[in-house]
Amino acid sequence: MNWKLIGDLIRLRYKLMWAKTRSRNGKIALFVIGYLLFALLVALLSLGGLGAGIVAIQSGKAERMAQVVLSGLFVNAVFGTILLGFGMSAVFSDTELRRYPLHERERFVARHFLGIVDPFWFLILALEIGLVVGLYVYGTYSLLNGAAAVLLLFLCGYLLTRVVGVWIDQLMATRSGSMVVLLLVMTLSLAPGTLTPLVRKNPGMLHQIVAVLRYTPPFGAAAAMTHSGGQAAFGLGTIAIWAILLTAVLLVLERRPAERQRVVRNSGSLWDSPLDRVAAIFGPRMAPTVGFWLRFYLRNNRFRMLYLFSLPLAAFLTFNMGRREAGGTLFTAALGALPVVAFIGTSRIAVNQYGYVGGGFCRFFLFPTDPGVSLRAGNYAAMLLGACWIPPTAILWAFFAPHPIDWRMIFMPVMNAVTALFLFHGVGLWTSLYGPRRGNYDKSLGNDMSLIGNIAVVGLMLGCMFLPMVLRFTWRAAITPDFWWLTLPPAALAVVFYAASLRGASAAFPARRERMLAVVEGKA
Amino acid sequence: MTPATDAIRITNLVKRYGDSLAVGNLSLAVPKGSMFGFLGPNGSGKSTTIGCLTGLLDPSSGTVEIMGGRFTAESADLKRRMGVMPETLGLFEPLYAHEFLGFVARMYGLGEADTRLRVSELLAALELTESGKTLAEYSTGMRKRVAFAAAVIHSPDVLFLDEPFESIDPAGVALMKQWLRRFTEQGRTVFITSHVLETVERLCDRVAIITKPGKLVWQGDITVLANDGAIQYDGQTFESLEALFLHLTGEKYADLHWL
Repeated sequence: MNWKLIGDLIRLRYKLMWAKTRSRNGKIALFVIGYLLFALLVALLSLGGLGAGIVAIQSGKAERMAQVVLSGLFVNAVFGTILLGFGMSAVFSDTELRRYPLHERERFVARHFLGIVDPFWFLILALEIGLVVGLYVYGTYSLLNGAAAVLLLFLCGYLLTRVVGVWIDQLMATRSGSMVVLLLVMTLSLAPGTLTPLVRKNPGMLHQIVAVLRYTPPFGAAAAMTHSGGQAAFGLGTIAIWAILLTAVLLVLERRPAERQRVVRNSGSLWDSPLDRVAAIFGPRMAPTVGFWLRFYLRNNRFRMLYLFSLPLAAFLTFNMGRREAGGTLFTAALGALPVVAFIGTSRIAVNQYGYVGGGFCRFFLFPTDPGVSLRAGNYAAMLLGACWIPPTAILWAFFAPHPIDWRMIFMPVMNAVTALFLFHGVGLWTSLYGPRRGNYDKSLGNDMSLIGNIAVVGLMLGCMFLPMVLRFTWRAAITPDFWWLTLPPAALAVVFYAASLRGASAAFPARRERMLAVVEGKA
Repeated sequence: MTPATDAIRITNLVKRYGDSLAVGNLSLAVPKGSMFGFLGPNGSGKSTTIGCLTGLLDPSSGTVEIMGGRFTAESADLKRRMGVMPETLGLFEPLYAHEFLGFVARMYGLGEADTRLRVSELLAALELTESGKTLAEYSTGMRKRVAFAAAVIHSPDVLFLDEPFESIDPAGVALMKQWLRRFTEQGRTVFITSHVLETVERLCDRVAIITKPGKLVWQGDITVLANDGAIQYDGQTFESLEALFLHLTGEKYADLHWL
C-alpha cells in the first residue's frame, strides 16, 4: 500500500480547500463554515455525547441509553448525509486517481480515506467519542473498548452511507430507478408511523425487534461500551463483521459497470414534445428557453429523486411533527411541512441556476436576446414544477386532515405553500447570480451548493417548519382556522418580492456575466 | 465607422482582469470575405479577444466594430449576424443534438419550418444522426461538430471559430474546410484561432499573430506562401507559417537531456 502517496493526496485535498480562501467570498465562506463547525463541534460534543453519557449513568440504564443514542446518531448520519449530501464529496474520483501510480486497491483506500476525513464525519465521531468519555468518566466502563467500538461504528456509518449512495446512484441511472427509490423512501417514511401502533398493541414485539437489533452496529457498539469480556467481544465482533461486509458490498457495487438510461426516439416524436407545448404558454419570446429549462430539470436524476421525494417528505414531517397530540398539532405541523413540497425538488438547481450548465452558459450571452430571458425562463420552469406539487399535496392533506374537514384548514397550508414557492424562487434568482458554484449535473449525491445556496435552502426549510411551532407558543390564534386570512399578506408580499426580484436580478445579470462565466467554466 | 471593406475592426482594444493585462492595445482589421487566422501561443489572449468580439467580455477600453456597426454586449442586431463556436463549445449536455440545434435556431429567430429543415440537413451532413444519445454521451469530435453546426445554423455573416479543428477526424476537418471556403466565396467572413498551423496555412488568406499579453506582432497576407513559397519578414525568409510563428513568438525547443 502506497501510504506516502495517499498521505500526499490528503494533503493536496486540504491544500485545495485552503486555495479556495484566496477569493474574498472564499474567505468569508471558510470563516463562517469554520466557525459554525467549531461551534457545532463543541456544542454537540459537550451537550450531545457527554451529556448522554452522564444521563446513561445516572439513569442506571447505560446500555439502553447508549443503544438509543448510537442508533439515533447512526441513522441520522446515514440518512442526513444521503439526503443533504454533507460528507459525500468524493474529492477525487477513481478516474482522476488513475493518473497516479496507484493500484486499484490503493485507489479504493485513497478515495475512501479522503472521504472519511471530511469535517462532517468528524462531527459524528466527536459526538460518539463524547458518549464514550461520559461513560468512562462518570461510570466504570472501559475507555479502550469504547474507543474501539466507536471507531468501528464510525467506519460502518461511513461505509453504509457510501453503499446506499452508490446503490441509489446506479438505480437512478436505470429507467425504473426513480419509481423504486420513491417506493423505498415512502416505505421508510411511513414505517415508523405504522410500526408504533403495532408495537403499542403488542408489547412482546418490541423485545423481538430489540433482539434483532442486537446484531446491528449501534447495538454492537453499545454492548462493547457497557460490558466487558464475552459480551464486549460479541459487540466488537458484530461491528467488525458489518464493516467487512459493507466494504465487500461497496467493492462489488463500485466495480459494477454503469448502466445508462437510453431513450430511443423515433422521428415522429423528434419535434412534438409535450414540454414544448407546456413552454408555449409563456409566449413565443420565452417558450424556447422555458422548454430548454424544463428539459434541463426533468432529465436530471437528482432533481427527479428530490422531486419525487418531496411529497413523502412533507407527509413524513407532518405526521412526525404532529403525532404527539391530536388535531390542532397535526394541523400546525401541516402548516409548516406542506410548503416544503413547493421548492425542495427544484432547490438544488433553482439556487444555482447556471452552476450545472457548464460551457453552455456562454450561449445565453451569444444569443441575440436579452440574457435576462434565460434567467427568468429557468426560474419560471422551476416555479412551474414546484407549483405542480401543491394541488396533490392539498388533496392528500384533505384526506388525512382531522375530520370534519374545515376548508380553512386546507386553504392555510396551501397559501403557505404559495408563499414558500414565490419566496424561495425569488431568493433563488439572487443566489444564482451572487453565489454561483460549478457543479456536476450528473451527480446524484453530495451537497454541491454554495454557502449562500445552502443558507437559502436549509434556512427556508427550517423557517417553514418551525415558524408555525413558534407561533403556537407565542401567538396561538394566528395558527387557528379563524385567522385563515393571516396567510394572505405573506403570500402577497412573497409575490411582490418575486416580481421585484425578477426585474432586479434580470437587470443585474449582464453585469455579473464575466464573474459567472469564470465560475461556471471552472476558471475561478 | 468601419470601411465598407472591413467585417471586423478592432481599435486599441485593452482587456484587464484586475491588475492582470490580458489584451494590450490590440488594433486589427479583418476584410470582408476573408478567412482570417488569429494565432498566438497559449495564454496570449486569443480567447479573451474573441470574448470581447462576441460580447462575452466587456473590453476595458477600445472599440470593436462588426460589419460597420459599433459592437457591445447589448448589440442584438449584430449578434444575429454572427456565428460563434466558443472555446468551451457552449453545449447544453442534457439535450439531444436535434433539440440543441433547434433551440439555438429558435433563439436566432428562425421560424419553425426553417428550423426543422436546417437541423435535419445539418445533422445529416455532419453525420450526427445517432439517436438515443445526449450531447453528454457524444465523443469530443462529435461535440465539436454539433458546436460547428450551431455556429452556422442561422447563416451568419461573420463566423468566429475558436480552435475548430482540434479533436476532429480528418473527414470532419475536410468537410468543415469545404464549407468554410464556400462560406467566404459568398462574401462572408471567417475568424479562426487554431494551433494547427498547417491547416491555417492552407485555409486562411490573412493571418495575425499575437504574443502575451494580446500584442499584435505580425499581420499579413499568407497566400504569398502558396504563390512565392516564402514570406519575407524583417529581412529574413520563412518557408512556412510555423517557422514565422516560432520566430515571432520566441518559442524555442528546450533540450531536456533527461527525457
